[in-house]
Amino acid sequence: MKKFALAGNPNSGKTTLFNSLTGATAHVGNWPGVTVDKRDGVYKKTPEPVAIIDLPGIYSLSPYTPEEVISRNYVLDEKPDCVVNIVDATNLERNLYLTTQLLEIDVPVVVALNMIDAVEKAGDKIDVAVLEKKLGVPVVAISALKETGLKELMDKAYKASLEKREGATVLADSSLAHLIGDVKIALKGQGVENPLFHAVKLVENDSIETEMHKELSPMVEEFKATFEDDVFGDDFEAIIADGRYKYISANFAQTVARKEKDRQKMTPSDKADKVMTHKIWGIPIFLAILFAIFHLTFSEDFLYLGAIFKLPSLEDLGLLTAEGEPLNYGVRWLACVYDGALFSPGVILNNIWNDMLVGELFGWLGGLVEESTMSAWAIGLINNGIFDGISAVLSFLPPILTLFLFFSILEDSGYMARIAFILDRMFRRFGLSGRAFMPMIMGFGCSVPAMINTRTLADEKEKTATIRVIPFFSCGAKLPILTAVAGAIVAYFGVGNADAITFGMYVLGIVAAIVSVLLMRNTSLKGETPPFIMELPAYHAPQFKNLMAHLWDKTKHFVKKAFTIILASTIVIWALSHFAFDWRFLEDEQINESILANLSKLVQPLFTPLGFGSQLGQYGWVFVVAVVAGLIAKENVIATFATLAACLMAVVGMDFGELAIDAEDGIDAVQAMVMATGITIPALISFIAFNMTTIPCFAAVGTAKGELDSKKRYVGTLLFWLASSYCVGAMVYTIGSWWWTCFIWIAVVALTVTGIVLVNKYGKNGRKLLWARGK
Amino acid sequence: MPIVIAPSGRSLRIVRIAADEKTKKHLENLGITVNGEITVLSASGGSVVCKVKDGRIALDRDVSTKIFVA
Repeated sequence: MKKFALAGNPNSGKTTLFNSLTGATAHVGNWPGVTVDKRDGVYKKTPEPVAIIDLPGIYSLSPYTPEEVISRNYVLDEKPDCVVNIVDATNLERNLYLTTQLLEIDVPVVVALNMIDAVEKAGDKIDVAVLEKKLGVPVVAISALKETGLKELMDKAYKASLEKREGATVLADSSLAHLIGDVKIALKGQGVENPLFHAVKLVENDSIETEMHKELSPMVEEFKATFEDDVFGDDFEAIIADGRYKYISANFAQTVARKEKDRQKMTPSDKADKVMTHKIWGIPIFLAILFAIFHLTFSEDFLYLGAIFKLPSLEDLGLLTAEGEPLNYGVRWLACVYDGALFSPGVILNNIWNDMLVGELFGWLGGLVEESTMSAWAIGLINNGIFDGISAVLSFLPPILTLFLFFSILEDSGYMARIAFILDRMFRRFGLSGRAFMPMIMGFGCSVPAMINTRTLADEKEKTATIRVIPFFSCGAKLPILTAVAGAIVAYFGVGNADAITFGMYVLGIVAAIVSVLLMRNTSLKGETPPFIMELPAYHAPQFKNLMAHLWDKTKHFVKKAFTIILASTIVIWALSHFAFDWRFLEDEQINESILANLSKLVQPLFTPLGFGSQLGQYGWVFVVAVVAGLIAKENVIATFATLAACLMAVVGMDFGELAIDAEDGIDAVQAMVMATGITIPALISFIAFNMTTIPCFAAVGTAKGELDSKKRYVGTLLFWLASSYCVGAMVYTIGSWWWTCFIWIAVVALTVTGIVLVNKYGKNGRKLLWARGK
Repeated sequence: MPIVIAPSGRSLRIVRIAADEKTKKHLENLGITVNGEITVLSASGGSVVCKVKDGRIALDRDVSTKIFVA
């Protein structure tokens, strides 16, 4: 099969085109650097099917960041049959800079002039025929979003791929033309492929190139020595860049007929940026948007209408029975939307999903199993093992999707890149650039794509530090732990506000990330903060199609996980908790004799400083099981709770009916565990904190291993996660239980900071000096 | 003068880029080259948003003190 590669500047619409051509739903966003790995699909409307390869965006073929290397290597080494060069028509000159480099390679090239609709909308025109003639390769005006011009583009690409094309350069008139020509002849004599391209890069002093053709360096240097330029001196790379841009503006600028003669005019995007990236207002606006997102997702008092107007609850309205249940089916629906206050959209969705759909479905299924003629242990396995575990996990789909939808809107509108910019100054104090913000905020969704996205960071040490703290940005799978435990604290102990606890834990994660970054950048990962240079895309309204594609992908991923890895884990945990070492089947009440109990009790003392170890008595090991199961996937924590709670309820002699609140969403499971173990509030919060900052999950660990450059860094990362979660958990528990221990922690922190500052100031020799002076 | 203190809203010509090799190359790829044009759109506390060709590029304080315009 023929291979066509999509190459172009970041955010020029390659992935949108890829999706349109292949029918895929790859992730699209309005910021540079969404795609960090190549992916392929098939286009079928050409005479024979062709493979389409979507590559990460590149500004030039001299890579700056690791993901750009992927694109360069693909185009040079994998020899695609045609390169489809996507060019953003709204920024033609800059985009053609890459085109002039692609043309130097001996490969058929077709230029796709994307976003032509945006150009026409602005009243400008681009003369495609002239552009085509000057470039010497086919040019097709397309709109990847509206799917216009795609057939023509692919037909021309197919036709181009049937013929060979020899590289051509726009530097023929440059003062370096002779030098490049000589090097090219030398390379050709050695049988090097793409001699023209390599010749130009060699003259440019491209680091990858000089490494590859070491034997030619003396010759190139000799040629160069005879050359001198008035403006640039011997900065060859600058001469070539200048040559390319000069050629572009001399030849192609005229193909664009602008409606507005004045290029200095502010676009609507620029005007919006005056406010959004404002020196003073930028950060408060960002915080307000974040708060609004959390409010819309979690608040049970939308816009605080209930508190402001003192709205009556369902009980006040006489719509509840004496037992506090809704009077009829209609009221049950009303209770999903309103109870003394209007719920926010996220909560409404959550209530409908859990009370009306998942709860009903699993209740019905459970009833069927209960009445069947299966043996007791099979009913136990299906109802308490599988159904409780899976439904506990599935019940968290609505808040995860709602949060994810809002982040997708931020991403698709173009605001994300601005946040990175306004946070850059703050990040710099911690030793990171604002670019690191992108992977971090992706961490709120899932650590795996977030860690892969660190490829957009040019500095290796910054990348390592970012990968290590990504799990602290609580991902979708950790959200259930937060809401279930926080809900149980409020329901059982009757203190605090569940939303406030959830939000507080998010903040705790961020603080832990900041402290860790500061610590690492001053000790093991010292280095200069890399510069922040980022293109700000024009704002645009979020695309409904994109948002739905994002949500669909997320849902698929979540449901698939629930029915594979989490299903398997719950079955294993149920089995281990219902069999003794001698393979005897155990009743729920005998859980303490199970294999699981005996194994967990061995490691239970380890968690004593964190509040959920030996002090919890004979059933305390359930928290240990949850933590360990969480290392596989964080959804397992809540699934494990649900599976084990069924047994614990039998032990403490209560049933679901005794608990005040509705039976779904894991809160009741946590309450059962609180009753059985007598765990305290600080220990529960320490449990959340530990789960948030520890080794994230198998998938994320695997990703981290792939992204980190050395085994040493990988092992260091695992140890870092264990150490940080243990410290954070212990700190939360001890300070929460005995407030005066905060003085001990302050002293420890102060000593550490002083130590680091002193060592950094005096170095290793200085330490010896101080030591000697002390003597 | 460096673009940090350059007037905004006016097309300026870049005369010197004093950044290290790697950064300079990346700037060139983005269209920020010696002899090229640049327009400062806004400057806040050292960070600068500028217009280069038809793109908008954000630079931190450190980089923007190293780009000199006339």
